[in-house]
Amino acid sequence: MHPYRGRVTEPPKTAEPAPAPGPAQGPAPGTPAAESPPRTPAAVRRRATLAGTAVSVLLILAIVFGSRLLRDFDSALLPYAVATVFLAFGVAYRYTVWISAPGARRLFKQGRRSFFSAANFRKAPTALPKMTATYLGFQKFLGARSHARWAAHQLVFWGCLLAAAITFPLTWGWFTFTSSTGSGPGYEMRIWGFKIIEFDALSVLGWLMFHGLDIAAVLVIAGAAYFLWRRMRDRGAVTGQRFAYDLVPLIALVVVSVTGLLLTFSSIFLHGGGYEFLAILHMVSVVFTLIYIPFGKFFHIVQRPAAVGMQLFKYTSRRKDGEALACRRCHEPIDTAPYVENLRGTMRDLDLGFDEWAEYCPRCKRVLRGNAYLDHVKKGF
Amino acid sequence: MMGRTIFIDPGRCIGCQACVSACRECDSHRGKSMIHLDYPDEGRSVASFPTVCMHCEDPVAPCAEVCPADAILVTADGVVQQADTTRCIGCANCVNACPFGVPKIDLQAKLQMKCNLCYDRTAYGLAPMCATVCPTGALFYGTLEELQAERPGVQVADSFTFGSTTVTTGVAMVVPADKVQWPVPGGLPVVEINGKDVR
Repeated sequence: MHPYRGRVTEPPKTAEPAPAPGPAQGPAPGTPAAESPPRTPAAVRRRATLAGTAVSVLLILAIVFGSRLLRDFDSALLPYAVATVFLAFGVAYRYTVWISAPGARRLFKQGRRSFFSAANFRKAPTALPKMTATYLGFQKFLGARSHARWAAHQLVFWGCLLAAAITFPLTWGWFTFTSSTGSGPGYEMRIWGFKIIEFDALSVLGWLMFHGLDIAAVLVIAGAAYFLWRRMRDRGAVTGQRFAYDLVPLIALVVVSVTGLLLTFSSIFLHGGGYEFLAILHMVSVVFTLIYIPFGKFFHIVQRPAAVGMQLFKYTSRRKDGEALACRRCHEPIDTAPYVENLRGTMRDLDLGFDEWAEYCPRCKRVLRGNAYLDHVKKGF
Repeated sequence: MMGRTIFIDPGRCIGCQACVSACRECDSHRGKSMIHLDYPDEGRSVASFPTVCMHCEDPVAPCAEVCPADAILVTADGVVQQADTTRCIGCANCVNACPFGVPKIDLQAKLQMKCNLCYDRTAYGLAPMCATVCPTGALFYGTLEELQAERPGVQVADSFTFGSTTVTTGVAMVVPADKVQWPVPGGLPVVEINGKDVR
């Protein structure tokens, strides 16, 4: 039996359409104006440039002071450090442009409100750490899409995270590894000049410390290779895929990892043969990848935390309200009332004058349109 | 209206669900059907009403406009693609903003899915799955000229009213000749539910 049978005794009537066709009109008179007027593209660009510049300057200061006025800065790593400054500018610029669009801006504000609400924190102190771990760390939602994709993405994710945790502070001169005996095996690791740990380079810990990037490369190669294979074989993935958006990031990851591993290979098995060439090849691939991050697929790394903000907003608004907003026709739940109100605000910002339609579930919208067609266009089709 | 597009004629639809089954075979959303087949006056009329994505042109793709993650791409040929799996955060903004009630969402996978005009097929000049199998021609894929050559005198409309807003779409609907000057009513404003005046 159809779930809606019996609930609607009469087919709902919709208004007779106006016979005069017209171009798309603005919001209906009386529609509440947008709470915060959308900014002009030029104003957004100005803000974004300002944000990008501020973040880059902060990073440069952090590099200078973190490396004890460049005393610990490794000049051989200069191109990497410069690339991270460009990366910081690009990410801050695009992030600002992104959250200036109505949909993102409103959700961002709601997420931030939920995040900083002391009342929410008291009621559900574990909600945020739990959501962060599920969505950002273990990416449970990917498992629901495909187990293989989840496993491969986990490999790439943890590999990249490990590599970033090692290389970024190294290139900024924040980490140093020094040996009081010249060539070791006793080493000490310092962060910002403070001694953190002392270890033997020949111990297991020492091996792990000096091969962290090799481990990361193996993880990334395994994951990225699966995704590359999938992009060539899976017909769903092949549909609509674009070289620059879908394949370049995977190729970049593989090139960075393989050239990185080759450096280790050169130093262990070739006594440093070809090391200089490989080092430049590796540097070029890493710099390209870092600068590419704000432009293409990798920007999802910056965007994904929005999923936590969105989920936290829905979760806390559900707790406050108790129940979801019901469809005005069939009374099936749509979503939480604050979420629907937020969406209606977004629609008004965008001059989509049919925001009250958001209070009807998708099926009722289709049925009501079917009824209107049945009543006014082709009677009794 | 796009050059080659789907023309929907609910008057020809017999509600056989062949389109729903065929849609599941589309490579870009295998196993899940994206076409909707509704029975607007169920129990009293056999009328059935197929809904595919209308690929809104003006305002362009409200689903993409409200998306907070820039996940919905509109390709140069006017096709509104389904959400980019990398970006979609599963917020359901598109699901609830779409005036036609088209997008679906998988809350576990945090992923929106919708009809993309069978991009894997139409990009190569093939008809979408639904139009390929429709036994009555309720879903026709081609140009307006091809439709009119096959059905002389047929009229179509590609604008729909929702309250005071008119939405122009890439997919068109067949309408009687005397109604062609009207935008097709989209169902909003609703004036009566269950016999009760809700104005």
